[in-house]
Amino acid sequence: MALARIDRLSFRYPDACSPALEQVSLELEPGEFVLVLGSSGAGKSTLLRALAGLVPHFHGGHFAGSVTVAGRDTRSSSPAELAGTVASIFQDPEDQIVFAAVANEVVFGVENLGLDSREAALRALAALRSVGAEPLYAREAADLSGGELQRVCLASALALEPELLLCDEPTSQLDPEGAASFLHLVARLARERGLAVVLSEQRPALPLELCDRVLFLERGRLVLDATRDEAVSWLSRNAPSFVETPSRLSTNSTPGELVCSLENVSYAYRSDAPVLENVSLDLRRGEIVALAGLNGSGKTTLAKLACGLLETDTGRVERDGEASYLSQDPGRYVVCERALEEVALAIDGDRARAARYLAEVGLAGYESRHPRDLSSGERERLALAAVLATEPDLLVLDEPTRGVDPARKAELRTFLHERSADRATLLVTHDTAFADAVADRVVRLESGGLVPGLDRDARKEEEALLA
Amino acid sequence: MKPLPALALLLACVVAALAAAHVLTLVALAAVGLTLALSASRKRARLYLIGIGISSIALFAVWPLTAHIGSHPLWNGPIVPVIGSIDVTREELVAGAIQALRLAVVGLAFAVWALRTDQDKLVREARFARRSVLTVALATRLVPTLERDASGLVEALRGRGIAVGGVRGRARLLTPLIAGSLERALTLAEAMEARGYGRPIANRGARARLGWNERAALAVSLLLVAGSLLWL
Repeated sequence: MALARIDRLSFRYPDACSPALEQVSLELEPGEFVLVLGSSGAGKSTLLRALAGLVPHFHGGHFAGSVTVAGRDTRSSSPAELAGTVASIFQDPEDQIVFAAVANEVVFGVENLGLDSREAALRALAALRSVGAEPLYAREAADLSGGELQRVCLASALALEPELLLCDEPTSQLDPEGAASFLHLVARLARERGLAVVLSEQRPALPLELCDRVLFLERGRLVLDATRDEAVSWLSRNAPSFVETPSRLSTNSTPGELVCSLENVSYAYRSDAPVLENVSLDLRRGEIVALAGLNGSGKTTLAKLACGLLETDTGRVERDGEASYLSQDPGRYVVCERALEEVALAIDGDRARAARYLAEVGLAGYESRHPRDLSSGERERLALAAVLATEPDLLVLDEPTRGVDPARKAELRTFLHERSADRATLLVTHDTAFADAVADRVVRLESGGLVPGLDRDARKEEEALLA
Repeated sequence: MKPLPALALLLACVVAALAAAHVLTLVALAAVGLTLALSASRKRARLYLIGIGISSIALFAVWPLTAHIGSHPLWNGPIVPVIGSIDVTREELVAGAIQALRLAVVGLAFAVWALRTDQDKLVREARFARRSVLTVALATRLVPTLERDASGLVEALRGRGIAVGGVRGRARLLTPLIAGSLERALTLAEAMEARGYGRPIANRGARARLGWNERAALAVSLLLVAGSLLWL
């Protein structure tokens, strides 16, 4: 018997013009690892929320059809009642943390199920151990990295001993190593515990290797429900950006004058823990430099130093021209009431230019929408437009592909490449495929220092060899 | 200290601040509150102290304009409909200073509560009004989050070449800041509900017995309330 069954589910959020899900039907079996793919706004998160009962209980809206999980209809069972059977992990670990102490955080869900304190603590410890996070038990959540926090969230979910685990883009904030480790762990749990896992992702390469089955949503409709091998072949025909490694864009210009030079730069937020030590980096007009490294390696700090948002402790930063910085968090680009005003804010209200940049990022027609009404992927693009519109000499982009679907990533890649001659671009990213495809040079931060990767000349040699 | 005696002390301070008749009592309470707040973490205390300072100064500035007491005028202003004559007397200034001090003591009591109590314990040990307790605990934790969001908004604007300065510039960020907090609160509420929050059978950690210092705190709270109502 199926663990979960969705029967002709249609759902529309309150005040939405079009349905988020339309006539979706599927069944989930215990032990299955199911990957949900689709572009931004296709309905992936809504599908996961429907399986958790959060749609319609938490969000309201118009719900038709039925969702049954472990024999319980989600229309008559609230998300809290389903909690022992279903567990969810959301995109941003920081927004899920209730307690200051990790131990209390993991115990919280178990105590809600009514278990006594001793048993709850044992379950919490076991869950932390199963995700390799036992040493975090006595730590404070505020002191953890993004990767560690996401592991705590996974442990909190597993402590409920659910039959169905729902993961909504859980690796979007993790470095490649952290993301791989998380995904392998989830796949192992599905195999060993018979746990059904439904995971949505915008970096599908690794999940596609690990999953058993793939669902593909397009404007709320389920257009593919197939085994992994069938799905890969379908995706390469119908949505190639989800399966193909992005092709490297050729280095089409010789670097121009120096726009920004960081010389022996050091920086520490706390005197006893330096983040950067003696880092030097030159950024020239016409080149795109990708900055890679693990969570907490100092990439964002270096980016902020480059564009003048932070002052160095020692060393020197010289800039020739204006610098603009795109923050990791698109929620910081919602100061105005309309998308067009938001983009025009930094360019003296030049609405024509603002509209042009909105169109450049695929948000034509969104001019009068409130930024908070946009999906996370759309907000990411709005933030990008707001920064690009300033037409800086140095463009610093901090994780610009977070939550962005593969098709939009391809557009961004082309856009950055075509405009690279106008400016120097520093790209901070965990998305190695994106960095490889668009960057002229990839440098990596490790233990506070910079490790150079392939530079332009080496890359040209490699391209010549490949040719 | 456990949340219950800490809560009793907080409430006692609030009652004393509002009921005390002597300025010296208020000054003493403010001094104790300030010392305790600064001994927690100066960095975290800074935000609370700025908020307390601004609201107390604002109350001191507004009080003489709305009160009508005293016979020693220092300034005679125009007559405003509804409010009446806008004049400032020496007695109004003194009364304004006392009211501002009361507000500062109340604010400091809340700051000490937020800075020095374990909010996790409060939520886990609460035996009644759990939802309200959790709301208070989460709201308390919202203060540093708000500070982080505010600096993030300013940073994002500076990253686009927009300078944020002055009261007007910062006031403009208030709406997006509050809207962002509400959005974050909704996400958190969704995550909590998905983890079973609100089930009637929920259990919380066992409550430990009170130590001597916590019993003493409860006794001091009672004395403070009685004293402020009867003698101070």
